[in-house]
Amino acid sequence: MKVLLQSNSLKKILASLSFLFLFSFNLSAQEGDYANGKKLFNANCAACHKLDKKLIGPALGGVTERRDNEWLQAWIKDNNALRASGDQDAIDVFNEYNGMVMTAYPQLSEQDINDILVYTNGEPEEAPATAAVTQEVDPKVAAGKKLYQVHCASCHKLDKKLIGPALGNVADRRSMEWLKAWIKDNNALRASGDQDAIDIFNEYNGMPMTAFPQLSDEDIEAIIAYTSVGDVAPVAAAAGEEVIAQPRHPIPWMTYVVILAIAGLVAWIYFVSNNGFLKISATIFVLILVGYIGLNALMDLGIDQDYQPIQPIAFSHKIHAGDNKIDCQYCHSTAKHSKHSGIPSVNVCMNCHKSIAEYNGPVTSERDKEFYDAEIQKIYDAIGWDPENLTYIEGYEEKPIQWVRIHNLPDFAYFNHAQHVTAGGIACQKCHGPVEEMEDMYQYSPLTMGWCIECHRETSVDLKGNDYYAKIHAQLADKYGVEKVTIAQIGGLECGKCHY
Amino acid sequence: MASNKKYWKSVEELNENSSIVEKLQKSEFIEDLPTDKFLGDKESLSNSDTSRRDFLKYVGFSTAVASLAACEGPVINSIPYVVKPDDVIPGIPDFYASAIADGYDFANVLVKVREGRPIKIEPNKEAANGFTNARVQASVLSLYDNNRLRGPMAKGEETDWAALDKEVGAQLADIKAKGGRIVFLTGTTASPSVHALIGSFNEAYGNVEHVVYDAVSEDAALNAFEKMYGHRALPDYHFDKADVIVSVAADFLGDWQGGNFSAGYAAGRKPKNGKMSRLIQFESNMSLTGGNADKRVIVKPSEQLKVMQMLYAAIVEGKSVGNATPVEDAVQKALVQIKKAGSKAVVVTGIQDENAQLLALAINHALQSQAIDVVSTKNIRMGDDSKVAQLVKDMNSGAVSAVFLYNTNPAYTLPNGSAFVEGLEKVGLSVSFASVMDQTAEMCQYVATAPHYLESWGDVEIKKGHYSLMQPTIHPLFNTRQFQDTLLKWAGSDQSYYDYLRAMWETNVLGGKSWNKALHDGSFKVGTEEQELTLNEVDLAAANVALSSAGDSEMEITVYVKTGLGDGQQANNPWLQELPDPITRTSWDNYLLISRIDAERLGIKNWTVDNGALNGNLVNVTANGVTMNNVPAYVQPGQAPGSVSLALGYGRTDLKKDMKVGVNAYPLAGSAYHEVSIEKAEGVHEFACVQLQHTIMGREGEILKETTLEDFVNKPVEEWNHAPVFSLDHQEVTQDKVDLWEPFDDTIGTKFNLSIDLATCTACAACIVACHAENNVPVVGKHEIRVSRDMHWLRVDRYYSSDMTVERGKEEGIFGSGDFFEAQTHPSDAPEVSFQPVMCQHCNHAPCETVCPVAATSHGRQGQNQMAYNRCIGTRYCANNCPYRVRRFNWFKYANNNEFDFNMNNELGRMVLNPDVVVRSRGVMEKCSFCIQKTQLTILNAKKEGRAVADGEFETACSSACPNGSLVFGDVNDKESKVAHLSEDDRTFKLLDFVGTKPNVFYQLKVKNTNEA
Repeated sequence: MKVLLQSNSLKKILASLSFLFLFSFNLSAQEGDYANGKKLFNANCAACHKLDKKLIGPALGGVTERRDNEWLQAWIKDNNALRASGDQDAIDVFNEYNGMVMTAYPQLSEQDINDILVYTNGEPEEAPATAAVTQEVDPKVAAGKKLYQVHCASCHKLDKKLIGPALGNVADRRSMEWLKAWIKDNNALRASGDQDAIDIFNEYNGMPMTAFPQLSDEDIEAIIAYTSVGDVAPVAAAAGEEVIAQPRHPIPWMTYVVILAIAGLVAWIYFVSNNGFLKISATIFVLILVGYIGLNALMDLGIDQDYQPIQPIAFSHKIHAGDNKIDCQYCHSTAKHSKHSGIPSVNVCMNCHKSIAEYNGPVTSERDKEFYDAEIQKIYDAIGWDPENLTYIEGYEEKPIQWVRIHNLPDFAYFNHAQHVTAGGIACQKCHGPVEEMEDMYQYSPLTMGWCIECHRETSVDLKGNDYYAKIHAQLADKYGVEKVTIAQIGGLECGKCHY
Repeated sequence: MASNKKYWKSVEELNENSSIVEKLQKSEFIEDLPTDKFLGDKESLSNSDTSRRDFLKYVGFSTAVASLAACEGPVINSIPYVVKPDDVIPGIPDFYASAIADGYDFANVLVKVREGRPIKIEPNKEAANGFTNARVQASVLSLYDNNRLRGPMAKGEETDWAALDKEVGAQLADIKAKGGRIVFLTGTTASPSVHALIGSFNEAYGNVEHVVYDAVSEDAALNAFEKMYGHRALPDYHFDKADVIVSVAADFLGDWQGGNFSAGYAAGRKPKNGKMSRLIQFESNMSLTGGNADKRVIVKPSEQLKVMQMLYAAIVEGKSVGNATPVEDAVQKALVQIKKAGSKAVVVTGIQDENAQLLALAINHALQSQAIDVVSTKNIRMGDDSKVAQLVKDMNSGAVSAVFLYNTNPAYTLPNGSAFVEGLEKVGLSVSFASVMDQTAEMCQYVATAPHYLESWGDVEIKKGHYSLMQPTIHPLFNTRQFQDTLLKWAGSDQSYYDYLRAMWETNVLGGKSWNKALHDGSFKVGTEEQELTLNEVDLAAANVALSSAGDSEMEITVYVKTGLGDGQQANNPWLQELPDPITRTSWDNYLLISRIDAERLGIKNWTVDNGALNGNLVNVTANGVTMNNVPAYVQPGQAPGSVSLALGYGRTDLKKDMKVGVNAYPLAGSAYHEVSIEKAEGVHEFACVQLQHTIMGREGEILKETTLEDFVNKPVEEWNHAPVFSLDHQEVTQDKVDLWEPFDDTIGTKFNLSIDLATCTACAACIVACHAENNVPVVGKHEIRVSRDMHWLRVDRYYSSDMTVERGKEEGIFGSGDFFEAQTHPSDAPEVSFQPVMCQHCNHAPCETVCPVAATSHGRQGQNQMAYNRCIGTRYCANNCPYRVRRFNWFKYANNNEFDFNMNNELGRMVLNPDVVVRSRGVMEKCSFCIQKTQLTILNAKKEGRAVADGEFETACSSACPNGSLVFGDVNDKESKVAHLSEDDRTFKLLDFVGTKPNVFYQLKVKNTNEA
């Protein structure tokens, strides 16, 4: 299988160079770096905060408009101290969120925090007209769509048969009175001897439809209006909107200029200049540079950060976890029990995809509706589902999906998801990054031992509320006189905890 | 500056007219290079399209491609289920209750299944027979035996079930029409459903006979019991109820009458209120029981019969016995104790002689012994030797039309195996239900390949009223069909065996109780109404007389079974082959055990070669009309002079190359003993010993501590369990006052300790195999064992006592000299034996940790000495600095290596690996980890459930496998835990305590009941 890898080596060379020469040129640094801010936000804040809505903590979008920078710096670094200093705002926020203490981040520098704040203010420059042009929609139709999706969508589609008949333009086929009677209590309608009702019942193998006496006449009219109008097709997105092809860590143009300048300088020294001292200096410089780059490249061996293989099904976490807000553990259900997070079996996919045979969300020019529909079809091929007749094919030889594993730990490192998810209460995004934004999944974290250890050093263990720690908590509190201990302090750095 | 000097290469060049010079100027070589030899003839070469330039292009291109291809990391696929079974959570093991009943080992087990593969056998401690020995622990690897047949066979060719059913069905119909005789020859199944099935087969075909045959037979004991109590069974023994146990050649801590007696025995071995049981063993070869005995009396096999007679005469007939010889004296002393104990005494015997067994039953009856249970009898040995002998005769006379062989390998195990094979050829239809092509299956027309017990349904009534269920724990690996299913099919039934079994249980066994509950528990007990036992009139006097007629001979040979291989049906299991025998500490072999006196007489020697391995002479053995050539002889301390012994289970010819070791001793089985003649043969045998026959060299108080019951009761603890003292500033201080290491606080959180009770450990070696299975310990093979590269993380050391004590040395005036130490190395001819399990001691002040140059081994807060394999660079400094010799170095890559063609070298065998433990690679050190994968899991489960860990939850593989409860593992910081209490026990000591390593493993010293009165 071909693996899509970004041109890593070039990138690393350039990154090394930019590190060497550019730190003093970096003009944007003082204002805050949007990309870095996003990364930091996802690593440190995303578990509890969202930009646009309250999660565990408040929504952070536009927080700089509500608080001044100094207060935010103080709060993020040590909110306990801020509260202790009697700051009323801090105490208010604390009380508003039921006295839940926010983790302190003394490790974040002022610049880091500025970066995060830049990110919370949104994209640095507005992308050109990203939003699809929406047509005026009749409020009645909009209400009808909402009701339709709540009550009808699990058994009906507008354009094709699902469990029940297709409902598009049903108003043309039946009278409104009949429809109201049917929807409110189809049993009663049949009992009254209505021939149409009995016919439909028989056509669908005598499966009774749920009665909806709670729907008012207006509700039903709205639903029918919606079935007549149908979905408003979104206007094709502007070309500038595509993001797939962009590298995740863009290299500033300044780097190229500086590299060219230095290369030119070295060439000039060698070929034009007669100054022996300069030549020796240039040679030493080139040797150090080559050594530095070489060492860096060697240190990165076996680290597959950003690994983004082509999967047998172009499964989009963005659509599932992002757009549709499906909980990670709905599919990765063993993460809370087991060392493995578990790649969902096909029958889990089928829980939803029995009734979702086509994709109707936003598309790009590369991945259009046909593309996604074809991907959904691959699930059906695996398990043997007949989307026309809505049945499993009898005696079908199942074809397991051969996913390409992205997060690979070496055999000698033991990692347990349950330990982190259930016992530790860590959000998936902490290690896997903003999965809900990933069209194609990639390895977000380096998965190096240094990365593990760093987190174990910094993260405090919440000893309260878990009876396992009851005894050790009292003993530790007594011994160290602390309320909170880090994972490292309870043995989380010992070799044998992960290597056996 | 140009030079006109002329340089020349040879004198010839100076001669301007030389033709050679001329030629050399044109060509580099004088003669044409023989290029056609490696490039083909000149013509085709010059006509070839491939020019030299092209060749270089190809080389360059392929090199570039190869290096580019190597740049890309491997793509690893994850393949989830299509439809996930509800009860499988990847990463979480499921445990299924089942039972093993392979004809030799019978036990209730729990099978640990990960992602659908069984990887470990645990004892089902809630069931009556929930004990695992080494073979039961290892049986999971036999499931993944690469030698297993992949499907049914017909006349040596692979076939399919339909064809097999058709062919056999036709023949059976034919036999039925002619009224031919059909015989089932099976090992002991103890299965009610199999008996019922054979019954219904009889109904279908008529003239069906079921002959039961045990390779290691208890025929004598069964016959004796049948005579006395009217039905064929074995009595059960409760050694925990006995104060005095007298055993005449009964290795009841080994496999005597099916084994599993050690837990009961161990229960009586912990001194309670100044009391414990006393075991007196009369035997010829050193058995596990003899090694554990309080008093071991060396008696030749023929004299053992006389010991039985004396015991009988004194206890049943009330006669007095003489004390002329040392043996008689020992018997008399035993008799005094038996009489004192009364019904709390028991006499058992392992002599394969019906009369001797009768006397034992009569003695226990006369004693009204509480330790023998003749009501709830055991069904685990049912073989009837006379019927088998008759069958072989009938087969040879052509009186048998069809023979079905299940769970038995008579071509290998019968003393007259060749007669059986000849007879088999005369039988019209022969079908084997083996799972491997064993020596018998090879001779059969059809092999209706049966699955392993972990793939099968089944039931077994190990003991009267104690029913157990066997259930499949994995989808059958191969195209196999259970014996029972095949039988149902051939009897014309459409029912599956599962339905049959369930229906049978629901009507006959369960009595309205839930099938699912019984299946979940794995066992089901049926209350038996107390029945009055009828005692038959038996002519004991005649039996007694018959015993006297047995003559004695100069040299007598007995056969015995070893802990590892047992009857040999798992001989293809590398874990068992590599398991060192607890007594001889030798693996990968059987050998003729011979006493020092006989060895010297015959000029037979064992000697140590310069790499530390043991070599020995070969002998030719002639007995029972059979001659075995080139049998290695092993000089065994404690072997009765005038007797030799040879272990069964070896010398099978149908095994993998490395497993074909030892000689087949079955031709000598089936009798108490045989007269034997032995002569030395040419050649040298190389043994694979992990420990030589040395003694403890007078360091009893440091390595191993033992005391007598008398001292234990009467003397203060300091006298029999003294702590080492040191001189500090001319003051005697205890070890904790002098320490090289900085103390550290280890009182917070969990701290693991392991307690090993030497009083109850019988060296059964179940722990060793359990450790093997749990921790992916590699098998290294015979040669590597010989060069001291065994990989066992856990070993059970065996020490012999020496006759040369300090007192005797002083008396003889050699104390302190080299002669004294030389004399001390030799074990006594009548040695006492001590066993001591040793694994990493997890020192709090670990010498290994301080010397590792890369800090690959370090100390955990929970007391574990941790080993980070990926960090280890293999200096072996730690092993050098370890006072306990418990570190193991991976000299080779043992997985996926054709040089080590054991289970880790094939796909099938690797399925047994524990996915939670890494397979170590070459060049790293490894050792016992205190099963950190198990303790971490226990902690995680507690964390997930938000509760404290209860005492008893923490377990290591060895502690959970121990049938005797000798190993107790737990959190010593939990003051209520069992291990915390044990750590403060008077009997507790630490290995090499004076070194100051402060181990987290501690021992409870052994108390021997040496009270002769």
